[in-house]
Amino acid sequence: MITEQYVKDVLRKGGYIADESIATAVFLALKMEKPILIEGPPGVGKTGLAKALSETMDLSLVRLQCYEGIDEGKALYDWEYGKQLLYTQLLRTQIDSYLTESADLRAAVDRLSAEESLFFSQNFLVQRPILRSFLSEKQSLLLIDEIDRAGDEFEALLLECLSDFQVSIPELGSIAAKIKPLAILTSNGTRMISDALRRRCLYLYIGYPEFDREVEIVRARYPELCDSLTIQMVEFLRKVRELNLRKAPSVSETLDWAQVLSILHAKQLTPEVVATTVGAIAKHQADLQQVIDLAAQTLR
Amino acid sequence: MERVITRFVTALRKEGVRVSPGESLDAVHALAMGGMESRETMRASLRMTLVKNYNDFPKFDEVFGWFFTRDQLNPQAYEMNDFLGALIHIVEGEQLKSEEHRTKERDEPQFVVDDELTEEDLKNLMGMEESEDDSFGADLMVQLDGNRDKKKEAAPSDFYMKSPPTVAYNQNQTTRKEAPFTPEELTDMQEVVYRMLMRIRKDVRRMKEMENRGKLHVIKTIQKNYKHGMVPFLLSLRRKRKEKPRLVVFCDLSYSVSHATRFMLLLLHTLQNRLMHVRSFVFNREIVEITDRLRNMPVNCLLENIDKGDIVNLDDNSDFGNVFKTFKEKYLENLQGKPAVIILGDGRNNYNEANEWALEEIRERAGYLLWLTPEDRETWQRGDCLMDLYGSYCDKVEVVKDVDELSTVVEDLFGTLYDHLDTRAWKGRRRETKEEEPHDYRTYYTRSGSGEPPKFDPNARSHW
Repeated sequence: MITEQYVKDVLRKGGYIADESIATAVFLALKMEKPILIEGPPGVGKTGLAKALSETMDLSLVRLQCYEGIDEGKALYDWEYGKQLLYTQLLRTQIDSYLTESADLRAAVDRLSAEESLFFSQNFLVQRPILRSFLSEKQSLLLIDEIDRAGDEFEALLLECLSDFQVSIPELGSIAAKIKPLAILTSNGTRMISDALRRRCLYLYIGYPEFDREVEIVRARYPELCDSLTIQMVEFLRKVRELNLRKAPSVSETLDWAQVLSILHAKQLTPEVVATTVGAIAKHQADLQQVIDLAAQTLR
Repeated sequence: MERVITRFVTALRKEGVRVSPGESLDAVHALAMGGMESRETMRASLRMTLVKNYNDFPKFDEVFGWFFTRDQLNPQAYEMNDFLGALIHIVEGEQLKSEEHRTKERDEPQFVVDDELTEEDLKNLMGMEESEDDSFGADLMVQLDGNRDKKKEAAPSDFYMKSPPTVAYNQNQTTRKEAPFTPEELTDMQEVVYRMLMRIRKDVRRMKEMENRGKLHVIKTIQKNYKHGMVPFLLSLRRKRKEKPRLVVFCDLSYSVSHATRFMLLLLHTLQNRLMHVRSFVFNREIVEITDRLRNMPVNCLLENIDKGDIVNLDDNSDFGNVFKTFKEKYLENLQGKPAVIILGDGRNNYNEANEWALEEIRERAGYLLWLTPEDRETWQRGDCLMDLYGSYCDKVEVVKDVDELSTVVEDLFGTLYDHLDTRAWKGRRRETKEEEPHDYRTYYTRSGSGEPPKFDPNARSHW
């Protein structure tokens, strides 16, 4: 029986510390068979959630990275023209003998058109991520990453897939999902996602984590760091986020930094330590100095 | 439970959160799935099914706060009060009701739910849904809220509801302090801009199609079709060089056009590098280029900077003559291509030197010169207004009084810009139609004699 606590515990086992709303979202998505749309600043663990889920809940991960200009040929399905052509050539002799029996041209055409569906069958269908996840025998996790990068046309294309879990192929009819996948869409909010898509999804916003949760996240990943350093580190990062930086450090930066510190066997944060490792948290030249200044002010 | 959710959704909608019936069904569904174990879970499940926009989260939390506290204390109270409220409303009319409401609010400060919408409000709401843009949305919401004795800051966009003279008058009265966009304003505008972009995109697509027409690139085509045994299924064409249209925008920072300027800045912020090359300038007495700032700064920060006077001294009076002269001296030489130039301002020069020769030079350099002014034609010659003079150098002068009109004009312009990049034949056709446009001020001025002399036309001669 799946409950929220179960979801939380399972994710924790996979090293992902979920808060209440994340656990509820996953729980409801599994129960209601609805996709989740996750928004939030980069690096807070949107994609990480999907990966952790697929690992811990034993779902095969099907990932679709969106980019500008992505279309159904890249996301849903495509016809394998080369293979079709090859088959026609191979079957040419076959066709000759097959058609000799027919009396006139009309009959031959009729006969051939009766076999037309042969060339538009699953045989020649290339499954792209969405169709693949729909047709997989095991429940899968469909991750549609950074949907804000794709155009509106693609968004419209997704509507059918996400609300009914089916793909319509003109030549074959609609193909419904064998087992409805758990669909997760992520967006960095560089573009407004249309309301139509939002309406079909559960909406989850993952922001920067609370203090306790962030400490827990670091502890789960890097248990070798001593507690006082972890706390000091997270406290410092929270202050850094309040600075007006061009790119505020998010959870992924926190983890990078924790890794750096653990490799360097740091015991305590000092302005010098920050100055040497600042590249892990600040990613713009203008930001570096601000972080170093802050360290000099607060860590004495 | 369904009823509770419906009420809750109604309350949310009153706060301006858009919730569809399907979403409320989802909410009921989610709660039935076991989302009622704790208050936090319930909040989370309601929020993720009903609210699909991060900006609406605070509103949701507020509504959730008072709605469910109240409900827990006394679940029956709603029904009764609601009913009474409705009765009183029907029997004694709105006046009494609002009085009654006020007294009630004193007793029970949290109580807002029984506030029935009046018929008028409903009409307003319906109208709001039907109308194409949301620029009046904030106003209507404020009016509705006023009905509820709730104090909200009056939205600055109120200004568009009035006639231009009053606006001009009021603008002079207002003090210098102006807050940057309120979040609501920002979202409203972003929506208008977004829709506009959607429509413009059509033109962009056509331009892209034009680009994609080219000669066959033989080598690439063969490479691409290697796996098909050299049968050219997939073609590869030599692309024409992609060129985004260029645009130069001047924004006046004086009061008369401040709202239009704000909208324009937001628009530019969105457009920057997405659809075209834009160079943007703001001016008052001095002119300053803000292209880089627009690119790297959130628009609200930029506006704050402008309001603080960091970029241009706001206490100066606007001086178009000086601006054109400086622009000519500093920037005109390194403009690339033949950009379209948009000037947003009222043409009130504060009796400074007109320097219309500088504008003429700008015009010669520009592919198209468009002037947007908030004032009507009748006032173009009055006082220190040099609109008549400056207008004679422009390809087109448009009167723009609100965000709505501005967006239409700009959209038209973009359409034209993209058309200009089309094939020559099309370009020629365009120009012909432009000549016939009744609103074309260029022909107006040439006819009145202040512009160039009429051109010699041999065809007309032979006709005689």
